[in-house]
Amino acid sequence: MATETPFTHIDPDTGIAIPEVDVPSQKLPPGEWLRKNLFNNWYNSLITVLLTIGVAYVSWRVLRFVFVTAKWEPVRENLTLINIGTYPRDEQWRVVAQVLIWSGAAGLGIGAAVAGAKFRALQAGMEYVVDPALAKVKRYSGLLLLGLVFLGFTKTFGPLILTVVSLAVAYALYWVASRVAGHNVGLLWAGVAALMVFGFQIVSGFFGMGWLWMGVPIAAAVYSVIGRNETIEPRRLRLIQIGAALGVLVVLFVVYLVVDSVGVEWDEWEGFHLNLLAAAIAIALSFPLGLLLALGRRSSFPALRIMSTTYIEIIRGVPLISLLLMAQFFIGFFLDTRTPLSLFTRATAAMTLFTAAYVAEIVRGGLQAVPKGQTEAGNSVGMAPWSVTRLIVLPQALRAVIPAMVGQFISLFKDTSLLLIIGKIEILGAREIIHGQEAYRGFGIAETLVFAAFAFWAVSFTMSRESQRLERKLGVGER
Amino acid sequence: MKRLMIGLVALAMIATACGGDDDGGGTSLLDTVIERDEVICGGNETLPGFGVVDDAGNFSGFDIDFCRVVAAGVLGDSSKVRFVPLTAEARFTALQSGEIDLLIRNTTWTATRDGQEGANFLFTTFYDGQGLMVPASTGFTTLEDLADANICVLTGTTTELNLTAVFNARGIPFNPVQFEDNTQLRPAYEAGQCNAWTSDASQLAAFKATIEGEGGDEQFIMAEIISKEPLGPVVADGDTAWAQAVEWSVMATVQAWEFGLDSGSIGSYSGTSPNILNFIGDGGFNPTLGLPSDFAVQVVSQVGNYEEIYNRNIIPIGLQLTGSPNDLWTNGGLMYVPPYR
Repeated sequence: MATETPFTHIDPDTGIAIPEVDVPSQKLPPGEWLRKNLFNNWYNSLITVLLTIGVAYVSWRVLRFVFVTAKWEPVRENLTLINIGTYPRDEQWRVVAQVLIWSGAAGLGIGAAVAGAKFRALQAGMEYVVDPALAKVKRYSGLLLLGLVFLGFTKTFGPLILTVVSLAVAYALYWVASRVAGHNVGLLWAGVAALMVFGFQIVSGFFGMGWLWMGVPIAAAVYSVIGRNETIEPRRLRLIQIGAALGVLVVLFVVYLVVDSVGVEWDEWEGFHLNLLAAAIAIALSFPLGLLLALGRRSSFPALRIMSTTYIEIIRGVPLISLLLMAQFFIGFFLDTRTPLSLFTRATAAMTLFTAAYVAEIVRGGLQAVPKGQTEAGNSVGMAPWSVTRLIVLPQALRAVIPAMVGQFISLFKDTSLLLIIGKIEILGAREIIHGQEAYRGFGIAETLVFAAFAFWAVSFTMSRESQRLERKLGVGER
Repeated sequence: MKRLMIGLVALAMIATACGGDDDGGGTSLLDTVIERDEVICGGNETLPGFGVVDDAGNFSGFDIDFCRVVAAGVLGDSSKVRFVPLTAEARFTALQSGEIDLLIRNTTWTATRDGQEGANFLFTTFYDGQGLMVPASTGFTTLEDLADANICVLTGTTTELNLTAVFNARGIPFNPVQFEDNTQLRPAYEAGQCNAWTSDASQLAAFKATIEGEGGDEQFIMAEIISKEPLGPVVADGDTAWAQAVEWSVMATVQAWEFGLDSGSIGSYSGTSPNILNFIGDGGFNPTLGLPSDFAVQVVSQVGNYEEIYNRNIIPIGLQLTGSPNDLWTNGGLMYVPPYR
């Protein structure tokens, strides 16, 4: 077969001629496609037939189990237990309020993102393209399915009403936010942060001193809002800004002294609620920490570099389980104080510290992939080193590591099931409790496990789809 | 400069590490608990009769009730208790580290645990013993019938050690099949992965009732008991004040039973027996146990006397009180408490 290949393209860098490749048409009629891909010779046909039979058999058994033979009563009767464990039932409104606040924050956040994208598109003279609704449904299919299954198991209309109301709240805030003019997007994001942190904390309850940390983002917001004032002389403005930010912290501390111990302890958070919150908090905190560690490890300042490297290497060499057990017990042994922090806080801290070390290495991989010329180019136009890192290196590095990072976060989310080991009643713990009950002792063991696995899958799958969208949007793998 | 920096960092780390060690020591856990106004009780949340949770998130069970007894005795309110679910392996570590104040988790009192685990075992609330359950269809009735049998057992428990010791001593060969917890063990047993299931007789009775109640094979619990399993509350070593407060709160349930007082009658006692008047705190008697003078009234009126607690939790799983070692000493049982005077 000596057909002559025409040289259609000469690579400008190497000067090598690249033969034109016959690209097969992507769209074949179904019959043609089947013949070409699945039945193109006898052994492929055999494999296709065998696999089809195998898949069909397994699917049939699984579907028969889920819809016919499975006894879902343990799940249906204990849905609240699965969701919030032994959370005090008369404080349950707090969980409802948390859901409303976070769906509001999500709506506001998506709206802010859309408004920002519109604004940037306008500035660049391009048209902003809205995602088709079907793509959104596909992307959130996991969560939607989980929601439907939960609603299918409920005995009252409360959860349905909550779902509808929270979707309405999210959509209303999205509608408002996406129509806000572009230069106010920063304020919108401050609103999202305030809702997620401040609003969340208010409805969760002011237990202990832990909530004081939320004063930091509020003080930062106050600082930045005052900074917009252009009528005051800069030096005085700076003083006013600092004064106001400090004032916020002082006021919050006074509030703390007055209204101590109102609400529900963090240790009362249980069930799937605990899995979600622990993962959300650990993800939100481990990302910035990991980023700092990665930059620290590449820093030219030796103390910083040694500390970051030591931290990363020590934490990465230790299994998460042992860190969790240390969080549970070792504070008592080392510090000789009786439970200074809630077990939830300690466990979440352990997961954050653990994940941060991995995030740091992922980010470092991304940083190393950015060519040195980029930094040098930034330096040569007189940019400050921090600006070079922030504006040139980090965006490229982070874009490249999205898949690995999301993979790490998904695994962190699934690792929240390890909280079971340290005696937290998360979703698998709730499952064990169900099978301790008189009625379900050793009854429906497979069903509850399948349900818990499905709940984990739904959230992980959504995270994965969301990361794929982000990759496409940022053009990972294309540039 | 570099070296200075490293030195400073190292110094700072050492200083932080040492900073935490100053406080602690001296005060009893009793004061801590009273100040916190809550008893943190390590327990089991998956053992029928002893510790379970319903769909509304309420804990109940024999061990759970004794946690409430301590809360009622020490704090005057049986609801001021937080339950921490613990695995069998983690329970003593949790006690030593101060993660929990009190451990009531079907824990057998043994010399090794008393000596090595830093645990202080208090009044035995339940006299249990290890038995063996087999499907009735096998016709096995003695240990010798179990030669070369697969025997299901939980790892890390005294049950596993007893099994090996007794079978080895009698020269009966057997294969232990080990599991982490009963939710895994039960389906394996029912699927025929092992010929016998060994555990405390109380647990076996509970599982026998459920298996048969759900239409499973009929089960047989061998008459032979191969161990002594005294179960009771445990506190950390070296804190006498707390140990006394816990022990006397627990013993008050047995004392009330002996006096014939229950949750309904103890609050309205109108007799003249000086012992009972002392017991319910009306006699101006104070043994300085660190407990309020009316602790016994609080315990019994809020949670009940021993018989009530037993009837509420253990009778439903099929173990009788009458004639068992857990009956009152005056009825020939082992429930005997020192006099309250």
